[in-house]
Amino acid sequence: MLESVVFRALSDPTRRAVFERLSSGELTVSELKAGFPISQPAISQHLAALRSAGLVRERHEGRFTYYRADPKGLTPLAKWIDRYRIFWPARIEKLKTVLKDIDP
Amino acid sequence: MTQTDPANRVIVECELTEPPEKVWKALTVPELLAKWLLPNDIRPEVGAHFRLLPRKDGAGSIECQVLEAERNRRLRLSWREVDDESGADVHCRIVRSIVTFELSETAVGGTYLRLVHEGFEVVAIAAVSARVIQLPRSQRRGIRRMRRPVNAMSRPAHLRRAA
Repeated sequence: MLESVVFRALSDPTRRAVFERLSSGELTVSELKAGFPISQPAISQHLAALRSAGLVRERHEGRFTYYRADPKGLTPLAKWIDRYRIFWPARIEKLKTVLKDIDP
Repeated sequence: MTQTDPANRVIVECELTEPPEKVWKALTVPELLAKWLLPNDIRPEVGAHFRLLPRKDGAGSIECQVLEAERNRRLRLSWREVDDESGADVHCRIVRSIVTFELSETAVGGTYLRLVHEGFEVVAIAAVSARVIQLPRSQRRGIRRMRRPVNAMSRPAHLRRAA
């Protein structure tokens, strides 16, 4: 999934709030709507955008459709974190040499 | 030095020969911190804001706030920066995270250092149009120097390998 697609999907504050709400559990559209001051069609539009960005998944059971956040959808942040896996050990090595020169 | 890799955290642990008091100085005195980390104006008081400056012109600065400061034992910071390496599409995002330094004295008078960088989250996303980064007004507070040319979208200075 292109990073830009994920970012664009999360660029709307309401959409981000919908995503965060779905991160703590599965909800139907009407359950979701209860927490937001916007119309059901608007919620559905946000869900569609989040789905096509791979951030939200849906599951059908009988008459109901349940939505939940897909944690794998936020993979782009993992690359950001990975850079720190290189950054910090290098900084700590530098810290060791700096410590030698500090008077008590 | 050991580095454990839970997927969303960076943990570095090591034993240093110097005592915790000295390590604390290296963490909290701006001139010393600058020698191994980045130029800064740190103040080790809870609530204090300071910046880390990878570049002289202030671009790409990291905005920090001291969350906990237990002398010679624990320094915890919020760490807020802009990730503008979003590829061809011009978006950038503000990433917040938490950095914790834990110091404990070893049996031989040295320091066991445990560094945890965690809590990574996107707190804002900005759309870059023309050559100016535009943030919604509510998100502009606390972020300085957001105006920068689009062609400066290279890896943030402090995260380049040569560092």
